Amino acid sequence: MGMGSGERYVELPVRMEVPEEFVRNFVPIPKEYVEEAYRSDEYLVFIGPQHPGSGHMRIILRLRGDYIVDAIPDPGYVHRGVEKLAETRLYIHVLPLIERPTIQDSANFDLGYSRAVEKLADLDVPKRAQYIRVILAELSRIATHLYDAGILAVFIGHSTGYMWAFGLRDVINEAFVRITGARTTLSYTIPGGVRWDVKPEVLNFVYELTNYLERKMKDMESIFVKNPVTIHRLKEVGVLTKEEATKYGLVGPFLRASGVEYDVRKVEPYEVYSELEWDIPVADEGDAYARFLVRVEEIRQSIKIIRQAIKNIPDTPIISEKLLSRIPPKDRPQAARDIRSFLTKTHVGLTPGAGEVTTLTEASRGLLLFTLVSDGHSNVPYRLRMVTPSWLILRGFMESLKGYRLADVPAIYGSFGYFPPEADR
Amino acid sequence: MSISKWLEPYKKWGTKFSLWPIHLVTACCGVEMAHTWNPTYDAERLGSLPWHAPRQTNLILIEGTITLKMARVLRFIWEQMSDPKYVIAMGSCAAEGGIFWNSYHVVPVSKIVPVDAYAIGCPPTPEAVIQMIRIVQRKIESGEARANVKPRTIDLTKVLTPSPTKQPAPNPPHRITPNPHIPVCVEKKVDWAFGYDYVSKQLMPALGELAKKIVVTDVNRVCVETETSKLKDAAQALYKLGFDHVKSVNVIDVPHENKFYVEYWVSSYSKKELMPVLIALTTEVPRDNPRVPSLIDIWPSADYMEREMYDLFGVWFEGNPWMGKNFLLDPDTPVKFPLRKDVPVVREFYLVDREFPSAAPPAAPAKPAVAKPQTQSPTQQPQSKPAQTDTAGQGSSTG
Repeated sequence: MGMGSGERYVELPVRMEVPEEFVRNFVPIPKEYVEEAYRSDEYLVFIGPQHPGSGHMRIILRLRGDYIVDAIPDPGYVHRGVEKLAETRLYIHVLPLIERPTIQDSANFDLGYSRAVEKLADLDVPKRAQYIRVILAELSRIATHLYDAGILAVFIGHSTGYMWAFGLRDVINEAFVRITGARTTLSYTIPGGVRWDVKPEVLNFVYELTNYLERKMKDMESIFVKNPVTIHRLKEVGVLTKEEATKYGLVGPFLRASGVEYDVRKVEPYEVYSELEWDIPVADEGDAYARFLVRVEEIRQSIKIIRQAIKNIPDTPIISEKLLSRIPPKDRPQAARDIRSFLTKTHVGLTPGAGEVTTLTEASRGLLLFTLVSDGHSNVPYRLRMVTPSWLILRGFMESLKGYRLADVPAIYGSFGYFPPEADR
Repeated sequence: MSISKWLEPYKKWGTKFSLWPIHLVTACCGVEMAHTWNPTYDAERLGSLPWHAPRQTNLILIEGTITLKMARVLRFIWEQMSDPKYVIAMGSCAAEGGIFWNSYHVVPVSKIVPVDAYAIGCPPTPEAVIQMIRIVQRKIESGEARANVKPRTIDLTKVLTPSPTKQPAPNPPHRITPNPHIPVCVEKKVDWAFGYDYVSKQLMPALGELAKKIVVTDVNRVCVETETSKLKDAAQALYKLGFDHVKSVNVIDVPHENKFYVEYWVSSYSKKELMPVLIALTTEVPRDNPRVPSLIDIWPSADYMEREMYDLFGVWFEGNPWMGKNFLLDPDTPVKFPLRKDVPVVREFYLVDREFPSAAPPAAPAKPAVAKPQTQSPTQQPQSKPAQTDTAGQGSSTG
């Protein structure tokens, strides 16, 4: 599908004017591009910014017939300046900022940021806190994959799939409420540990929940995942080969669906992932259906991780020793179980040493990178660089559209689980 | 004329139970919006169902933050919707910006479209959204937006005697050092045998003259500092070693030293032993003429991040065809290159007794501040207002 090949190029006798709305509505492509597309046998189709997906972005598609020749993204509709605002807030106040972009996946984002601060401030995290973090991160992963499955179902017009995915998500939200007190934005993982301890009955509830999820996932599989409609819409569209996936820097399940065995939890294990037994699901096809199946399989692996973590969780304090030492000795036993009322003593003045730290975290949709720069004297970050998985998959997403038909766009879009607030930050 | 009057109750009744919200998920509150119509909460039983075409809808749920870029879209969509139309602003961000209130790219919703009901929360729970749908239904019925739960008003002046003296707001706890030294590419002794071996046996010979210094900054982290003119060759050399993709392009602004650090964080997917290794290819550029050769020929994965860094810092990546155009930011953004350190942000502050410090916007707190010198308590001021509207509301609904 070479674009603009010579023989189909038709020179119009009159000059083609670019419609005025194009200029007024800030179409982010040059006028010459529009003119060229109009003069040749091709035309432009605008997908978005308002579309049935989740969050908003615009894709400008250049079509020949109904085959996509070129795809230009126009992101930024949810750009809220998290990186700038982080430079004006305390290290602990940055947490709500960085989890808002990916609201379903807040546990993983909190974890990534907390690890960056811990590395910079040289804080140790007790084992129990690490286990709780892993349980939350994996619950969050299941919730996000279900969310993306639901949105994919909406995209391909399968509302039953949406109902099943979101019905299951609500159960996980209930677990979040019991552990952290919030449905979606947890802010529970903090630098140095977690906010308060989890009760044994809540852990039992989460264990029961994994059983329920496993049972229900089987039903959902026959209704949605292995539904012939789903298979026909998703199979063999949006194919990215292993080389392409590497070249365009894909991440997470989308990279693994193209056959690259890369998972930060295995490559650079953090928290207690190295102590638990689980596998990386990998597929070779690289098409939309493989991307979806890899994530369905990841839900099973996450269930496996959660069960092991609940079984092995040790009984230690939930906050770093170094932070506990800032609290008067008589309050320490209480603070070791619940740090909330002492945060002013432990976290407001938290000033990490000077340095630059980069941490990698495997968030649900892939690699999450935080670069944190501290000058050693301020209690706010000097610079926070946050590279989110959706932002990293955008290039591969655009490339995977090329060569397929306009009607495949929803299927490919849904298979990437692209979440604009996460990408734009 | 008379027929329309006769039909009015039926029309109201019909509109009440056919509120179709447009599918306009502007930000993260959309997650809870999706939950509102899931099997658990099922707002469809109230006669509402999200729909994707603006022409066939009559309700907007503004899900969270409206950015400058989105504001125009919101207005377009609102204008396209059929009358009568209603707007529910969902979440703190839609009200006054929420935690993003001082961002350079966020606008309050009430400036763009008229809002009928505000759902509270960050994000609001599905219950709150359902309540807002009920409020809009009441508005259709009775002409005014009113909650189905009437809050109790409590006279706090009996319990709390307002302090006669003006309480000063405590200082914000932020401590920001002016002109700090920024340590980038600093060597650190770590326990990472493979790394030291790799740096001395592979990186050093491959890069040779191209690198100013190569240091191990942490386990699995290596920093390669190079001059801007040699950046492209150094990148080529790293690519040949197997570093095939970019994970992050980062710019650190150091205005007092008049320079930007530009970092490419590269890693490898094709070589298994290099997968955990992350190399920061770093260079310094002068702040008044920030020009760096673009590396998209070598690493196409750097493309969008280079565009983003131009948007936010104004670093010009020579060779990237998108330079000079906005990618993420709206062209109407009030500030250019917002992430530069010299672009100010309105700072956060504490509110005590409804008094704003000098940095605050002057309009909002004017009323209580005037009421202050009289011994009249400031807490009574907001109380009297809802009480009045409440009684008025009751009168109209019964009458």
